[in-house]
Amino acid sequence: MFTRTRQGRRTAAGIAAAVAAIIVLAGCSSSAPTSAGGSAPTGKAVKIFMAPKFTGLAYFEVARKGGEAAAKDEGFTFSYIGSDQPTATDQISTLTNAIPQKPSALVVSAIDGNAVAPALKQARAAGIKVVTYDADSAIDARDLFVNQLDYTLAAKTMLDAALLNSPDGGLVAFISASPTAVNHTAHVKIMKHLIDTDAKYSKFKYVDTVQFAGDDAQKSQDIALNLIQANPTLKVIISSSAVSAPAAEQAIVNAGLQARVSATGFALPSSVKDFIKNGDSKAFALWDPTELGYVATAAAYQLATGKITAKEGQVVDAGKHGKYTVGKDGEVDYNKPLIFTKDNIDKYSF
Amino acid sequence: MKRMLRTYGWELLLVVLIVLAGIWSSFLSPYFLDPVNLFSSAGFFVIFALMAFGLFPIILQGEIDISLASTLAVGSVLLGKLSQLGFPLAVALPIVLIICGILGAVNGLLVAVVGLPSLAVTLGTMGAYRGIAYLFAGDAGVTTIPPAYVSLGSSWIGIVPMTVVLAIAVGIVFAVLTTSTRFGRNSYAIGNSASASRLAGVSVAATRVAAYALAGVASGLAGYVWLAQYQSARGDNADGSILFVITAVVLGGVSIKGGSGRALGVALAILLLGTIQTGMKLANIPGTSQTLVIGALLVGSIGIPRIVQIVRGRIAAPRPAPKIDVDVRREEATQESKRTA
Amino acid sequence: MSNPTAVTRRRLSLGGSTSALRVRFLGVVIFLAILVIAFSLLSPQFFTLGNGRSVLFTAAILAIAAAGQSLVVLTGNLDLSVGSIMGLTAYVVFDLAGKNAALQPFVVILALAIGALLGFINGVFVTVLQIPSIVATLGTLSIYRGFVSVYANAKEVTSGTLPPWMRALATQVWLGLPSYVWISAVIIAIVAVALTRLPWGRKIYAYGSNPKAARFYGLSSTRIVIGAYVGAGMIAAIAGLLLGAQVGNINSLLANGIELQVLAAVVIGGVSIWGGSGSVIGAAIGAVVLATINNGLVLLEVQEFYRLLIQGAAIIAAVWVDAIVQRRVIGSGTRRRIMEVES
Repeated sequence: MFTRTRQGRRTAAGIAAAVAAIIVLAGCSSSAPTSAGGSAPTGKAVKIFMAPKFTGLAYFEVARKGGEAAAKDEGFTFSYIGSDQPTATDQISTLTNAIPQKPSALVVSAIDGNAVAPALKQARAAGIKVVTYDADSAIDARDLFVNQLDYTLAAKTMLDAALLNSPDGGLVAFISASPTAVNHTAHVKIMKHLIDTDAKYSKFKYVDTVQFAGDDAQKSQDIALNLIQANPTLKVIISSSAVSAPAAEQAIVNAGLQARVSATGFALPSSVKDFIKNGDSKAFALWDPTELGYVATAAAYQLATGKITAKEGQVVDAGKHGKYTVGKDGEVDYNKPLIFTKDNIDKYSF
Repeated sequence: MKRMLRTYGWELLLVVLIVLAGIWSSFLSPYFLDPVNLFSSAGFFVIFALMAFGLFPIILQGEIDISLASTLAVGSVLLGKLSQLGFPLAVALPIVLIICGILGAVNGLLVAVVGLPSLAVTLGTMGAYRGIAYLFAGDAGVTTIPPAYVSLGSSWIGIVPMTVVLAIAVGIVFAVLTTSTRFGRNSYAIGNSASASRLAGVSVAATRVAAYALAGVASGLAGYVWLAQYQSARGDNADGSILFVITAVVLGGVSIKGGSGRALGVALAILLLGTIQTGMKLANIPGTSQTLVIGALLVGSIGIPRIVQIVRGRIAAPRPAPKIDVDVRREEATQESKRTA
Repeated sequence: MSNPTAVTRRRLSLGGSTSALRVRFLGVVIFLAILVIAFSLLSPQFFTLGNGRSVLFTAAILAIAAAGQSLVVLTGNLDLSVGSIMGLTAYVVFDLAGKNAALQPFVVILALAIGALLGFINGVFVTVLQIPSIVATLGTLSIYRGFVSVYANAKEVTSGTLPPWMRALATQVWLGLPSYVWISAVIIAIVAVALTRLPWGRKIYAYGSNPKAARFYGLSSTRIVIGAYVGAGMIAAIAGLLLGAQVGNINSLLANGIELQVLAAVVIGGVSIWGGSGSVIGAAIGAVVLATINNGLVLLEVQEFYRLLIQGAAIIAAVWVDAIVQRRVIGSGTRRRIMEVES
């Protein structure tokens, strides 16, 4: 099949020889070639890039506002970069191309924490400070991780919201984005553990198999309906995805099953306001993404200007948004959960 | 000279576009013309280039494979798992390439021997192979890869990343395969007319299966590059990238109906797309505009020459453009499918 | 060039395609029946009225989109931009109607106009500019999606701003079935009747099964293919509108990537990817098959990877079974015809 024609043999041999010659002549190194680097800028020359998982999602836009506010307060330059395609390769390309622009710091929500790690390490090697927010990367690829809620607190918050929906407990089911969404997987694992062990949540039982909706509204709705069919005694559907949680509730409302079952989890208040006001669902949860964006960007600024070095015990000063202590492994816990109910949802504008 | 212009017209057009895109990019961003940065950006496109080279002979034969990104995921995840089981790379890589080749060959058998439409078959295996990748990877994926496996992603020849050299080498292999082997000649013949090729004594089924198997191997290699570059592997690796790969092959001047195109064109198309993307990313142009530009480029690159042709045809001689050969080819494809079915 | 005798023979043999159509249709019905029986045996919740209703509801929008797609596939082309058309229409129409209440009664007309325009653009690319459909609609997939991203500027249309009657529609139940199921059935019936009874539809079949002969008999390929794309665009727009009302909170990623599901439904439904054969009702049942698989696997508490595996296997099994059935029933006839054309 692959027998070559006579002319082909000659071409191939020639090319092979040329490639071999290039390799031999050039020699092979295993240290990264770098362009000439400068020292980190200070004060107003500080330039910070914020890279969400992908652009176009309302949640990240709200966090962006926090970053912009921080830039205004401290007087540094702020850019929001990213691709509208929710894939790891696109984010890697964004980050790789951020490095030669020599920002002072990157504020990143990692779509695949391990796959983006080499790019982030490259950035750090080039003297760029790296702060992750919302979704962490591999620990050694960043200086700080500003965690909105530590995993246990996130799990408890969602279960608390579920309790508001179904005070008598009952059967719950989980929808996550994908098997590879690390924080979602961790949330579900801890929620299951809490239900098994914590007396406060022992009224709940859970459907063991987790369903995946890939942050897609329609798929979330289909899965919600199917879950209700599969489990006639189902009381609450819980999702860490700000897309899936409201979509699941919408599916319940569409099917007219509000009285029997409800959805909860993390959602922007603007997307669930109607449900809560109508009493379809009693509570959803989240944190303030604007403030999270502010704290993460402020932390990046303080790293870039040398005010902190990401050592355990140091304090990130986010001005009017509070002070946060750096914990183990460079983790800064923001930890201000919000539970939205009929009484307070009008207070939130995002 | 004139003959060369006519033969390599598309490639020359791509070169011109690459130069223009380069000039545009260097205006967009002062960081663009830094050679170190250029080459490290090129490293990013190696994964797509490998899949595009693999897809090239398949499209040349008038078929398609949209499952390649899933095959890549199987490759990266499997290689990652084997690395953790302590296999040396020299053993694990051939195993993975063979398995990916088999996955490709399964597509090929279903298309060429069973006679099912390639788009439908690979739509099915795209999901199935992705499922296999998730199955191997588990929830957390594979991390902490031994250094031997990832050294490819952190070696340079001068300022050129080793992965780029690998992509060039694979490109040359595919160029030689398609221009100077019987496989290549048969591929062009099948793309032009499968039934005529069969009458001429070409083993259509074997050539097709070989093309699919090769594409599987190329995707497996892309999986290795993924593992080496990103030092991790997950079930969702490269999900959704097949549209970019098809864009590259088509932009490279390979007719989606088969029978024409060159590996050089595919390589240049990757270079063009890479230049544009890198330039726009360096200038922090929002992602949405990037999507728009690439879509417009795909349609425009084929549509604009056609408009020129129509306008020129109207002025010169009012003769309808010959459409027949396209339909003949399509009809042959139909016959073919019915016959093999 | 075209050979008149061969063309005449082929045209004569077109009469046999009615039975072939019926057989293809039978294939997907049998497939669905096997699925239903298997799931009923495996899960007590499956074969219940409520669950059947739920399966039909989740299949409704996919079935509409699949009906539009099959129009294009019947001409031997593809429309990969269907998800982008759905997303663009839903976002733009509901955004406009949200800002301007006077537009609220006209959202359907607005959607149809947008869908027709986007379909027309696709059709022109494919016919006038002769860009192969897979390439052209791959391009417009990016362009339309890029447009809605720019238009949306990362904002969302929230459920509160949707026209109340559209929101109410998503929740209504008519004669025991969700309104969407009825709407879906009506749209599919209209398309099916148009395809089999109107000259427009017959031309699509004739063109798809043999473009050369169709042109030989004076049918305008440009008009037929553009017509199919415009029809598909309008149907996709309606599907998008319904999806938007169902989802409530609409962002620029709505229906992103749905084209592969739609294509899977069409293929499972026995519409030939080569064009010219298959039925819209088959495609709609293809959508029900996919919805049944998804539903059944949730009922059985099966892991995600198995869902991907089983769905992939189902697609291949469907085209395989289809190929076998086709060969058994009309194989001899087809073979003879090919010999004639080839010699």
